[in-house]
Amino acid sequence: MAILTLENLTFTYPNSTTRALDNVSLSVESGEFVVLCGESGCGKSTLLRLLKKQLQPKGNKSGKVLYNGVEIENLDERTSVTSIGFVMQNPDNQIVTDKVWHELAFGLESLGEDSDEIRRRVAEISGFFGIGDWYHKKTCELSGGQKQLLNLASVMVMQPEILVLDEPTSQLDPIAAADFIATLRKINEELGMTIILVEHRLEEVFPIAHKVVVMNKANVLMIDTPKNIGKRLLEEDNRHKMLLGLPSAVRIYQKLKANGECPLSVREGRSFLQNYKNTYPGYDIQNEDYSNRKKAIEISEGFFRYERDTPDVLNGLNLTVYENEILCILGGNGAGKTTTLKIMSGTRRLYRGKLRIWDKKIKEYSGNSLYRHNISCLPQNPQILFVKSKLRDDLMEVAELMGYDKEQSQQKVDAIAKELEIENLLESHPFDLSGGEQQKAAFAKLLLTEPKIILLDEPTKGIDAYSKKILADILYRLKKQGMTIVIVTHDVEFAAEHADRCGMFFDGQIVSLCNPVDFFSSNNYYTTAASRISRGQYKNSVTVDMVVELCEKNGKVKDNG
Amino acid sequence: MKKDIVVVVVIVFIIVVLCCGTKIQSVDDYYLTHIDDITEDSETVFLSIECSTILDNWNDLDTALRYEKYVPSNGIILEKTEYVLRKGDTVYDILSRAVRHNKIQMEYQGANLNAYGSVYIRGINYLYEFSCGPLSGWMYTVNGEFPNYGCSKYKLKDGDVIAWVYTCDLGRDVGCEWISNNKGASK
Amino acid sequence: MKEKAFASYHPIILFVYFTVTVFITMFTMNPVLLGISFVGSIAFCGMLIGGKELLKSLAYSVPILIVIALTNPLFSHNGETILFFLNDNPVTAESIWYGVAIAVMIISTYYWFKCYHAVMTSDKFVYLFGRFLPKLALLLSMTLGFIPKLKRRYREINDAQKAMGIYTSRSYVDRMRSKIRVLSILLTWSLENSVDTADSMRARGYGLKGRTSYAIYRWHKRDTIMACLAFALSIGIIWLMFSGYGGFNYYPTLASVDISVLAFILYAGLFILMFLSTVIEIKENVLWRYLRSKI
Repeated sequence: MAILTLENLTFTYPNSTTRALDNVSLSVESGEFVVLCGESGCGKSTLLRLLKKQLQPKGNKSGKVLYNGVEIENLDERTSVTSIGFVMQNPDNQIVTDKVWHELAFGLESLGEDSDEIRRRVAEISGFFGIGDWYHKKTCELSGGQKQLLNLASVMVMQPEILVLDEPTSQLDPIAAADFIATLRKINEELGMTIILVEHRLEEVFPIAHKVVVMNKANVLMIDTPKNIGKRLLEEDNRHKMLLGLPSAVRIYQKLKANGECPLSVREGRSFLQNYKNTYPGYDIQNEDYSNRKKAIEISEGFFRYERDTPDVLNGLNLTVYENEILCILGGNGAGKTTTLKIMSGTRRLYRGKLRIWDKKIKEYSGNSLYRHNISCLPQNPQILFVKSKLRDDLMEVAELMGYDKEQSQQKVDAIAKELEIENLLESHPFDLSGGEQQKAAFAKLLLTEPKIILLDEPTKGIDAYSKKILADILYRLKKQGMTIVIVTHDVEFAAEHADRCGMFFDGQIVSLCNPVDFFSSNNYYTTAASRISRGQYKNSVTVDMVVELCEKNGKVKDNG
Repeated sequence: MKKDIVVVVVIVFIIVVLCCGTKIQSVDDYYLTHIDDITEDSETVFLSIECSTILDNWNDLDTALRYEKYVPSNGIILEKTEYVLRKGDTVYDILSRAVRHNKIQMEYQGANLNAYGSVYIRGINYLYEFSCGPLSGWMYTVNGEFPNYGCSKYKLKDGDVIAWVYTCDLGRDVGCEWISNNKGASK
Repeated sequence: MKEKAFASYHPIILFVYFTVTVFITMFTMNPVLLGISFVGSIAFCGMLIGGKELLKSLAYSVPILIVIALTNPLFSHNGETILFFLNDNPVTAESIWYGVAIAVMIISTYYWFKCYHAVMTSDKFVYLFGRFLPKLALLLSMTLGFIPKLKRRYREINDAQKAMGIYTSRSYVDRMRSKIRVLSILLTWSLENSVDTADSMRARGYGLKGRTSYAIYRWHKRDTIMACLAFALSIGIIWLMFSGYGGFNYYPTLASVDISVLAFILYAGLFILMFLSTVIEIKENVLWRYLRSKI
């Protein structure tokens, strides 16, 4: 019998005319790993929340959610708390207490377990998740990945039957995200836990899922195994927004309109490529000559630390950003990428070394002249740029700060809004926008200062593949207008596709700085999935499109038809 | 840098002001005072200091003070003595001149340091308030009456008889009625 | 996490120990008792924070000691041994000694509190409260977890607003306005985030009946031994002190130190109590080294 069944589930939020969920039916077998995907705003999160009695949103609901044949509403509180575990998106916000051990015990305390039972279960779960080393730590000292692992562990400690996760890795860097997914796989395989996961980043998830549910606006488009989804999704709707978010191997398969089994993982992708000849072995790298370009930002021998007695975060950093390029800075967590951005934006100062912006020392920019017609910075969390209760007011404020009168400001705001296609959002509260919309709104705010240099901190964090494409379009348009763009990111795929140059940050310095093809094809580990798939077969092909192009050029090996 | 200099200057200034307002005397210098001689036409008052109530409450007395030199066996610290009254003298002025002349220890709280707006006598001859139980302290009478205000506010006239008495019971044991009625304190 | 030897005792013992030491220190003026407390507190503090840090903090304490010792004579004129007169008021040797005693008392108390701070980490404190007021303990724990988050968010917002070039002028009014602006964003943002926290609590059963309060601290046999020892010592010491042994007067002349047999027992008892923590610390270090040498 299915452990969880949705029967014709329909849900409408109050004050809304459209249905958030429309007649959704789904059944999940015990021990299944189900991945739920769809563009943002398609009702995935609403569906997940309806699975947990304590988190059900208010609204108009019809249809049934059955857990072991019992309707969720009719479960007693205790069973519904323990049997369905829920992990949310933001690692920080879910943590309730100040110490790791207390966080682990929190759920069991609520259930009223006695100390010995709590001690036993907490010990067990710490062992399973490898938390022992940081069991006594303060929760605020943990890294993002550790925090999310802690959230998972403190749900698992209550011994649930079903684990429900709402984009748990969207705020993590790729390495922490991969670790987290690996842990989920371990839980699924070793404990036979039923897992329902909503995820944007499908590269690691697709190969381990048993079943994938693709959602369209408010309803289920298809439910199938990942391999079949890879095949069917393109046939069903070749403009579906989800296509962009699929793993690289699947996308290569789809773009080549190949037949046979759909590859999911890098390994399968590599053997899939064996079907293609390699008479034309790949691309040559053409490095652009930057010597004649104007220098936008120049950091030489930069040293920086946050506190007097902490180690240097920047350790003799040399970095030159040239006019009108898109520069991506990659690197692990805490390597100093974000710090570099803060140095460039003037919110932090080097304690040794020089920083020149347009060949002028940063000190010579007095008052806020650095932030007018010059530099603008998009923080990781675009939300924090907004103060007013209406987006329009927020944008008007910036325009007026730029010294335009009311009428001019109005025109400026309208022009920007039109350009970024956010006219329909102008009257809404900035906090009510989705991640992608918020980012666009923040862009509008930045562009009103008419910058020449734009600094972006992790712009692809937490947004889906389609929003990434929109972001890339905006960046290209800005570049065409002559802007210089510096992006700090973990997202290797994004960097490979859109950067002019990529730099790797390590130990407070930029280790290598070259064009993305060179960068990612010479990296063996820190590189794109497409590069890992095509390595050995073709050289210097780092994006899905490049691999597809090479395959098409070479043609198939004959005997495979 | 500028701020530091300002701070240094201010500190130096404060020190200078404090030093100018400070008078340091050796013990001998201090007691080497001249007391006005009594002449025919000078106005005079009488002063006595006694603590005989302590003799009745010996067990309440601070152990460190149970010696003859602090509490004389007859309870009299200063015999009734005649002092010259200068113009505008208060009870406090006479007391302060008398103890200095007789090298008797005395400590007071300045008029600006308490709520009464008058000098408050904390201790004479090492006998302090609360030295002999929680209701003990120094009080004074002028011509047998307990004035209801501070000793530095009481202006004396010719022939007044001042007596400083130590009470162990908020004045009741020395014949003062008003304190026990309206809960004041000795002044 | 490294828990020092003494700190690994049960929080209740630690709490009572520090309460008693501070209480005794604050209620005695006997130079011998104060001396024991002073040396005891500094020795233990040295064990906890290391010699270098201790010297650094002593460098601050010594001037404080001198200032207090010299300030007392300005306000207290009691004492037979008059050194000189300052503005017609006697400055006496007794009042200087009294000032020294007060200073030693304050500094000892300060060092005991420093030790307390190093030993009683926030979860121990929360645990102590949790035994009586579980709700308050949870609130405390949540607050302690929330503050660092808030600080980090504040910095993040501040940087973002600064990089928008809003109110970067040097005028104080503008700075104030920018602070208010940052705070208002912080408030909205935190409120929004706390919705998640509330969800996370509810999803994990907060609000169910019969909530228990878990603590990682357990009562071991050595806690019982320690409790008995410290309890006996404290009761003995406090009883002797209240019976008047080890009394001391600074005015009008310095009294002589109580050297009766019971007073000596009092001194010895206090010595053991005050150095118990240091000895445990040293013992554990030595033991550890010994065990390591065996391996």
